[in-house]
Amino acid sequence: MSDLVTLKIDGIEVSVPAGTMIIEAANKIGREIPVFCYHSKLSTVGVCRVCLVKVGTPGFDRATRQPILDVAGNPVIRFFPKPMPACSTPVSAGMEVITESKESLADRQAILEFLLTSHPLDCPVCDKGGECPLQDLTYAHGRGESRFEYQRKHTSPKKIPLGDLIVLDTERCIICTRCIRFQDEIAGDHVLAIENRGRDAKVVSYTEPKFDSKYSGNTTDICPVGALTSRDFRFKDMNKPGVRIWELTNVPSISNYCNMGSNLVLGTHVGEIRRVMPRQNELVNEIWLTNKTRFGHHFHSSSHRLTAPLIKENGKFKQATWEDALSLIATKFHEAGEHIGGIAGPHLSNEDLYLFQKLFREVLNSNNIDHRICLNSAIDDDLAYEIGVGIGTDIGQLAENSAIFLLGSDLDEEASMLYLRVRGAVRRGCHLINANGRYTKLDTVANTKLRYNYGSAVHLVLGMTATILDEGLEDKNFVYARLEGIDKLKTKLQAYTPEKVADITGIDADIIRQAARDFAKAENGIILYGAEAGNDTALHASIRNLALITGHVGKKDNGVTAILPHCNSRGAADLGVIPHRLPGYHPVADEIGMSAKEMLQPNHGLQAMYIVAADIVGEVVTCKSAIETTDFVVVQDLFMTETAKLADVVLPAKAIAERDGSYTNLERRVQVYDPAILSPTPTCWADWHIITAIAGRLGAEWTHASADGVMQEITEQVSLYKHMSFENLTKPISLERKRQHYIYSGMSFTADVREGVQWATRAENQASFFELKFIEPENDMPQSDIILVAPRVAYDGGMLISQAEILANLIQQPKATLSPSVAQRLSLSKGDTVQLTSSVGSVALPIAIDGKLPDNVVLTPRNLAGSVAEQLLDGHNIFIGVKIVH
Amino acid sequence: MTNKYLDKHVLLRNKDIPNIRDINVYIAHGGYDALKKALTVMNPGEVTQVVKTANLRGRGGAGFPAGVKWSFIPPNVKPVYVVVNADESEPGTFKDRELMGENPHQVIEGIILCAFAVGAERAYIYGRGEFKNTFVPLKKAIDEAYNNGLLGKNIMNTDFSMDIFLHLGAGAYICGEETALLNSLEGYMGQPRSRPPFPAAEGLYAKPTVINNVETLSNVPPIILNGSDWYRRYGTERSPGIKIFSLSGHVKNPGNYELPLGAPLRYLIEELGGGTMSGLPIKGILPAGASAPMIPPEHFDVMMDYESMAEANTTLGSASFIVMDETVDMAWAAEKMVHFFKHESCGKCSPCREGNYWLEQVMHRIRSGKGTSFDIDLLTKITHQMTDNCFCPLGEFAVNPINATIKHFRSDYEKYITL
Repeated sequence: MSDLVTLKIDGIEVSVPAGTMIIEAANKIGREIPVFCYHSKLSTVGVCRVCLVKVGTPGFDRATRQPILDVAGNPVIRFFPKPMPACSTPVSAGMEVITESKESLADRQAILEFLLTSHPLDCPVCDKGGECPLQDLTYAHGRGESRFEYQRKHTSPKKIPLGDLIVLDTERCIICTRCIRFQDEIAGDHVLAIENRGRDAKVVSYTEPKFDSKYSGNTTDICPVGALTSRDFRFKDMNKPGVRIWELTNVPSISNYCNMGSNLVLGTHVGEIRRVMPRQNELVNEIWLTNKTRFGHHFHSSSHRLTAPLIKENGKFKQATWEDALSLIATKFHEAGEHIGGIAGPHLSNEDLYLFQKLFREVLNSNNIDHRICLNSAIDDDLAYEIGVGIGTDIGQLAENSAIFLLGSDLDEEASMLYLRVRGAVRRGCHLINANGRYTKLDTVANTKLRYNYGSAVHLVLGMTATILDEGLEDKNFVYARLEGIDKLKTKLQAYTPEKVADITGIDADIIRQAARDFAKAENGIILYGAEAGNDTALHASIRNLALITGHVGKKDNGVTAILPHCNSRGAADLGVIPHRLPGYHPVADEIGMSAKEMLQPNHGLQAMYIVAADIVGEVVTCKSAIETTDFVVVQDLFMTETAKLADVVLPAKAIAERDGSYTNLERRVQVYDPAILSPTPTCWADWHIITAIAGRLGAEWTHASADGVMQEITEQVSLYKHMSFENLTKPISLERKRQHYIYSGMSFTADVREGVQWATRAENQASFFELKFIEPENDMPQSDIILVAPRVAYDGGMLISQAEILANLIQQPKATLSPSVAQRLSLSKGDTVQLTSSVGSVALPIAIDGKLPDNVVLTPRNLAGSVAEQLLDGHNIFIGVKIVH
Repeated sequence: MTNKYLDKHVLLRNKDIPNIRDINVYIAHGGYDALKKALTVMNPGEVTQVVKTANLRGRGGAGFPAGVKWSFIPPNVKPVYVVVNADESEPGTFKDRELMGENPHQVIEGIILCAFAVGAERAYIYGRGEFKNTFVPLKKAIDEAYNNGLLGKNIMNTDFSMDIFLHLGAGAYICGEETALLNSLEGYMGQPRSRPPFPAAEGLYAKPTVINNVETLSNVPPIILNGSDWYRRYGTERSPGIKIFSLSGHVKNPGNYELPLGAPLRYLIEELGGGTMSGLPIKGILPAGASAPMIPPEHFDVMMDYESMAEANTTLGSASFIVMDETVDMAWAAEKMVHFFKHESCGKCSPCREGNYWLEQVMHRIRSGKGTSFDIDLLTKITHQMTDNCFCPLGEFAVNPINATIKHFRSDYEKYITL
């Protein structure tokens, strides 16, 4: 902790860490100094000059070097002749600041007058109106009239589209550069710049497509004027009449696209979502949202929504009553007996998932349930239950004494919010080791870049672990107090020294050793691992060992987490929607049920299937026959998906904003969302409600009448979730914390700021013991010159996102991306088609060329239209050897 | 006898010695002797100390003591850079151009001495974009220095090695401001940085950096060679030494003149400059291009040193005197200068970006006969709103032409007011 410095602001004494800027010190005592260019999340530039204040320091006698005192014995303050910018003047001991001196107020008025000479004051037709800092500050400090009587910037270009999502009105821009700094510093997408000089200066995007960033929407939030606005909300720009900001009703919610569970506000107007804004949660998304979350809400109002139960008769769906549909389901489920299986998507709320497993286990007496559709869901492991990341972990605060070991994940695509936070940690000095088989965006900031051969990530981890034990870098206290089996592990690892794994991983032994040292020596260490590292027990065991021997477990800012694919993948595992575990990771008492993989094999032997919020056929087209051959299939969803088309009964569910519920993010943080709008019709029911109704028809006497009622039962039944009562989850953060962090003061929308609740892992219990496990890695390196890698991407072919017209151009189309030299070797150029053949299948794809890709990799994302990559994968790993033929 | 105050040129030696831009001629006339002295019998600290004792003040305009600047370089941080500010853009200033074009080896020797003193191994010369012709002889001189073992590895067979790189800007006045220069040199937009950190702590590529003007560095070799006592014989107690004065405007003999600091302005204009071409009386003199307040006739007897100029409510700056005779309409002159500042404002901070634009608009209105007397006061008010509020000196200086001309020549404005 740095030294505290005490100063006086407007006569009030305040102590802040040395190096703090005056503006932040003033915030601490509730003095808000007006400013445009400064933003506490961005670097300081000091250009708008609105925050000028009067500053003085104690006078010192030059000869004696003693402070000069007045007759009363108080130090004499010497005020600087010039006003100082509060945003970029650091505090010093004994300093005195007057925030509203006569001179400062005059300066403020002067600067506002200057700014308004180049601002059109077109507030009546500006989307920012009502939550606009320029409007607010002009109201508070402006002259009330302008002496500038010339043609304003009206002639500057208006409505310049910066890509599909953002519109720039240059005549409103006051060149504060917040947008540019956000893109450069937070997002790492260097796509904006200032062009020209002086008054001709303007913000430009120099990429093609324009403003090419997954995070661009955030610039519309931090723009202190209406220069950057979103096309989605823009006044009268879309086909709907515009709505003013103050007409919106703001409801707190959680992103259904984000595995971090980004907090957001749904701005609704007459029962419709009109915009999505971030809701500050410093532990999750700070004040940012991805464009996918911000603009992907249109599925709610889609005209393709299911509005009534449908029953298939003679191959055609007919609208039915809930009464008829439920009766039919009860009869058929009853008939199926034990030959029934259920698949529930990881987008469902915790309440839905809990009741889903309860229906199967308690009413239908079956363990045949799963949420993992082939490889698209959680990597099955116990690491989250055993270790996870420590409670209170805040990647948003990680700094110099910390290290992050990122293994096999492109966070920018797979966990965009986590990408922003990891990038921020690196900026603050956290050491990032980025290991993957190919270039990923975090390589631009990573301290150590490790490029392993696909399939050898486990060897890399073993090599690092061997180094740590060999050099005695393990956390000896932790090893002594809480671990067993260290000697056995040491013996086993003799076969995996850095020298021995250098060949198979393709990484130099010294580099492995250095990475191991960096990770072991850091005070805090976090391992994040994704599917590009592999998907086997040997890998998980090796990651577990690495975390344990370094003692990076069971405490804040330490631990392990998988990069889970969906917003509630964690909750689905926590609440037992897996064939072998009950809620809370208890093993099933009786026989282990069928996994999704088994249920989706052609000869699965099931008579009935209940599929909730999972477009299985859309995601993996090869599963079609398994569903077709099932006698009775119920699909419960928002849309007539490819899977629903095969069903016998289709049930219309409520979308997230139409109901309440909770999600558990990949850091095990449980967060609730509130109902904001009504469903298209009253015949759409919440998933938990439908499940309860089915259970009722089958004779169960459940009494759930609300999602929080279900959560109440979960808190009683599942000890992991015992603190997750709605009361706890909806508790606003303390006033003190709010003052510390709250940034959005001055903006018109309000919504509760909550931080959610994390459940404790086994490691959190300081009395728990761990046995080190070693599992010999199987050599499952793809035996091929070319390896197909199929990671998830942000803009996938999902049903919900495809309802957002505004994002349509961003949705990725299936293609095979190759390195230039491979393309050259095969005489391929952009747009050509290749045939990719693996041991599983063969598909034709158009190619793209990417100079950053290694020569042995062909990249084809999963979850795209037609599930092309899935047809080549063997259902075990997301990489596989392929042959390419022109 | 060069002039009444100086027996021979110290900086513009090209005026005394033909072809001194050739390395052999330069060496034959004592060139690189100072470097030899520094490298063989002095240590870096002593070099800095001599410059400090000589109280060589920065010739770019601010007048900050060069030796003090050098001593701010932290001893333990490497690398250290020397950056030579050759972005001579102040209207009416053309001294560095002559130094680099006609006596380039003295500049180079000064750079090497500075680098030796502060422990730098790389020096960058940042030249004004329009200086591409001037850079031809300078580049040639640098090549000659390399060929003679005066640059590169083991200079003069000592342990000291250094390189000089030339870089031309794209033509922006603001890049004469040292931090904007650094941004431009790094490839960013030419806009000033916040200070602190000062360049001595975090300058080029965030490393300790000394930035000196070309003329400042040209003073170093004679100081090292002859000692600080010799140097302090020239000039005044607080403004010691020799300075080049660029004289232009309505004078018979415009050009660069070398004089000790503290010489009378009247001597420069009337004896050296030969008075006005037209023979008409002088109306006003700009002492430092467009940036400094104009000198009205009552101050024509001022001495040309930092302190005396300040007493006359102006600054010495880069010492470029633009003389205007009675025929000049001072409102017209101010409009030209306001246009210049509006054109050169980088746009980073609001008061400079918007203020200069507004000033120009009001000036246009007055000069086109559409103004009222309110507009003259408005000009003053706008300048007040800019003063002390700008990010860097550009915006602060931009108000000088208007304020000084309104103060001393208000009638030139009033004659446009017909409404």
